[in-house]
Amino acid sequence: MGVESGAIPVKAGRMGSLVSKARAWYSGVPLLGWLLGVLVAVALEHILGRRVARALGMSKEPVLFGFVTMLRDPALLPSAVLYVLLIYLLPIAAVARLTAQLTNRLAATLLSLSSGVSSAVHLGLIYGALHLWSDLSDYRLLLVRLTLIAIMVTLSLNLVNGYMGEFSCSHPGFMALGAYTASVFTVILFVDDRVFGAPLLALPPLLGQFVFPIALILGGVVAALGALLVAVPSFRTRGDYLAIVSLAFMFIVKSLIENLEIVGGPRGLQGQPDWANLPTVFLWAVACIWIINNFVRSTLGKALNAVRDGEMAANAMTVDTRRTKMVAFLFAAFWAGVAGGLFAHVLRYVNPGTFDLKKLAEVLAMVYLGGLNSVMGSIVGAVGFNLLSEALRPLQIIKWMIIPVLLILVMIFRPTGLIAFREFDVQELIRPKGEPQQH
Amino acid sequence: MIFFQNLVNALQLGSFYALIALGYSMVYGVLMLFNFAHGDVFMVGAYIGFLVSTGLLTLANLGAVALPTWLILALTIILAMFLTSFVGMLVERVGYRPLRGAPRASAAISGLMIGIFLETFVLWLGGPKRRSFPALIESTTYELGGVIVTNKKIVIVLVSMLLMLALHLFVRRTKWGMAMRAMAYDYVVVPLMGVPLNTIAALTFGLGSALAAAAGVFFGIAYPVLDPYMGIRYGWKAFVAAILGGRGSVLGAALAGFMLGFIEIFVAWIFPSTWRDLIAYSIILLILTLRPHGFFGEPYSAQLRL
Amino acid sequence: MPSLQVEGMTHYFGGLRAVHGYDLRVEPGQIRGLIGPNGAGKTTIFNLVTGRYTPTEGRITLEGEEITGLEPHKIASKGLGRTYQNLRLWRHMTVLEHVKLARYSKIGYGLVGAFFGTSRRHREEAEIEERANTLLELVGARHFADQVVTSLPYGAQRRVELARALATEPKILLLDEPTAGMNLEELVQMMDIVRRIHDELGLAIFLIEHRMKIVMELCDVIQTLVFGQVIAEGTPNEIQRNPAVIDAYLGKDVVT
Repeated sequence: MGVESGAIPVKAGRMGSLVSKARAWYSGVPLLGWLLGVLVAVALEHILGRRVARALGMSKEPVLFGFVTMLRDPALLPSAVLYVLLIYLLPIAAVARLTAQLTNRLAATLLSLSSGVSSAVHLGLIYGALHLWSDLSDYRLLLVRLTLIAIMVTLSLNLVNGYMGEFSCSHPGFMALGAYTASVFTVILFVDDRVFGAPLLALPPLLGQFVFPIALILGGVVAALGALLVAVPSFRTRGDYLAIVSLAFMFIVKSLIENLEIVGGPRGLQGQPDWANLPTVFLWAVACIWIINNFVRSTLGKALNAVRDGEMAANAMTVDTRRTKMVAFLFAAFWAGVAGGLFAHVLRYVNPGTFDLKKLAEVLAMVYLGGLNSVMGSIVGAVGFNLLSEALRPLQIIKWMIIPVLLILVMIFRPTGLIAFREFDVQELIRPKGEPQQH
Repeated sequence: MIFFQNLVNALQLGSFYALIALGYSMVYGVLMLFNFAHGDVFMVGAYIGFLVSTGLLTLANLGAVALPTWLILALTIILAMFLTSFVGMLVERVGYRPLRGAPRASAAISGLMIGIFLETFVLWLGGPKRRSFPALIESTTYELGGVIVTNKKIVIVLVSMLLMLALHLFVRRTKWGMAMRAMAYDYVVVPLMGVPLNTIAALTFGLGSALAAAAGVFFGIAYPVLDPYMGIRYGWKAFVAAILGGRGSVLGAALAGFMLGFIEIFVAWIFPSTWRDLIAYSIILLILTLRPHGFFGEPYSAQLRL
Repeated sequence: MPSLQVEGMTHYFGGLRAVHGYDLRVEPGQIRGLIGPNGAGKTTIFNLVTGRYTPTEGRITLEGEEITGLEPHKIASKGLGRTYQNLRLWRHMTVLEHVKLARYSKIGYGLVGAFFGTSRRHREEAEIEERANTLLELVGARHFADQVVTSLPYGAQRRVELARALATEPKILLLDEPTAGMNLEELVQMMDIVRRIHDELGLAIFLIEHRMKIVMELCDVIQTLVFGQVIAEGTPNEIQRNPAVIDAYLGKDVVT
């Protein structure tokens, strides 16, 4: 006992100093450097991944950072870890550190041009990495697109449950409205379908890409109209009212679609054109994050927080609280609808059963895991939840005992989520990190 | 005639909803929390009832003990209620008590996760296969002017009503019931007055879960199949019914439960049965729009605060 | 034209008459006080004037324009700012955000600006921020600007609330016990600030106060309210000598 209690601080101290040394070593690396590192690592996997994996005794490159491989076959654990180390961690660490000077200068130059240009370059790097990474398997491509959509759904629900402090349960319903509206639109107009017949407009496939945004926006608008049905009775009174009304609404939407034979009833609707490719989904997700972040950082958007923290005082300080709540709720529903449209076109199949309580639990879990009132939180929540959910997939049913326990622990130790109440400041993120900035 | 037949069926279905809704309503009334795990507690209660009755029947068949069927039935109900009340208290202890200072929404999420856990746990232990509940009541059918009534239905409806009456008396007449009502009235002051908050919270969850277990056993008797998803199928509807009844109102929750049963049965009678949820929830939405505070509730002054 | 005028205002809560036949006329630049024992209906009068409750009877005008029965945010944006007896600040927001938000109704960039970050929005936000900082300077809370409001000392929170009310560009400011719960140092500072606001911005002020010394020192005219009715109105000197006031209210406070 005595030995142990003496040994632990030493060990912790050594570890601590190692961590702080590493942190100091890497504090000068700007975001641009990290992204460059990731891009190099992913490119490396593209070229060498298969060979490295074979050399380590795996049949092909591990699909999800080795997690799935490890859980399927624990004997491959060392190989998987080694693979991740060799292909991802070491190259990222090396490139990020070695190019720090270069990337800092580059970041400074870009920022001096304009923050728009700099953001675009960063986004380009992110896209490049995602593209290369998902290029290696269809599974990855699907996962990346679904995760991007999950970010949109999570962020838009955060607007209501986090920023505005209400508790809404109707997001699956809004997604369903968007998914079906967009699908019906594209299938009627552009696809030779059994139910709807020959396409009304025979467009060359390339042009479809330009019509797709219309379908998505239409889906978003219908979702927002649905939200109006929830909002009008709900926002007359304060409190838990929205939770129940929105829950009932979700069930109504699902049941309504199940009874609409024209869109396939409970069997669902399929044959959506293959337009929701990675660049499309990526652009929509970026647009969603950008617009919502703009909104919540404006004084108009901050009115949501004031409504949450004290509606009466907000009203006395000239804030039209009713309008504020309506706008935010409809806006959130719009993005859920757009995400739903994308979702339907990624899977190219949609059925009402998807948008039920399980989806609701998933979306709520992502919002509260990531953190309330935080754009970064929603990104982390959605990505974290999706990666975790996929990584644990080999455990099959046990996965659904592990995830709830993890979430309960998060709720106990961080009741508002991992990264709650944080501003998402792009300027701060993309600035060069050369010398410590004055504050 | 068909009308009266449906009425009898609606009374039975309403009993389940009412018993489950009471659990939601109590937790919401006393602690101002959504217990999203409650539907799954109902499911667990049904499975516990299944295990208890199967065990007792096996013992009886082996001749180890001489148990008449009615006693097995009574023991099943009582034991299931007793054991499930501990499940309810465990839910409170694990998912709600550590979050008492936290935003109410976080507690709701934690409850939701416990529900998923319970569901998966039962699925993992028992498999996805449906279990048929042993027949504890020798079915007898009576015909009253064309309406067919089984003795099962009579027992279920009567015992449900008795349990609700017992709860009502408990809440109105006993010291603990008074403490619960006082808590519903003022969450902040009561703990200061020497009423232990933890005990009240455990009691509230325990009582609600016991009633849900009774509903589970009756469900098993009436439709003798159980599956791990029955909790979400019936629980969420009962949750909405509880809110419809009004915040923390025992009478309101019971009435709303019965009303939900009636709506469902009669919708299925008149319209295609696939429209059941659609119309039931639409009616609920309409009622909530017209009477935002439910039948007997006070205004929802509180909110899921951050 | 008076800044704020109330004529024959009566209000019932259920069957209970909280305010009866209340009249008020606040001239531009005047500081008016409202005193009275606990439960006399002082805060109710504030809530009626600011639109939180709609009076059962009576008429309220702000610079000649009728505001009776309007929603609180409309009344506020027409030029009526208020503070609360027990602070009503927004717990997750910074000091600067509080003051900026009170300019909500003056924002012109609209949702398009909020969503897409137009140049007009950046310009307006910069203006709002500059104004907010000026007001924070005025109440001596500039150095707290980026802190979350709950981390501030109590007196500072009160001053932030004052700055927030000022940011609505009021024509008249309603202060509900601005020095409640303050220590002596904070109190002196607050009085100083109220005077400065009055002198520099030329605002009319209508305040509820419990501490006699403050009311007597600050106000031009004082009303005394008992059981929802005004029993006396006059200059501090007159009020101090009014036997009805002494009887109903001052009697027990004179000692302290």
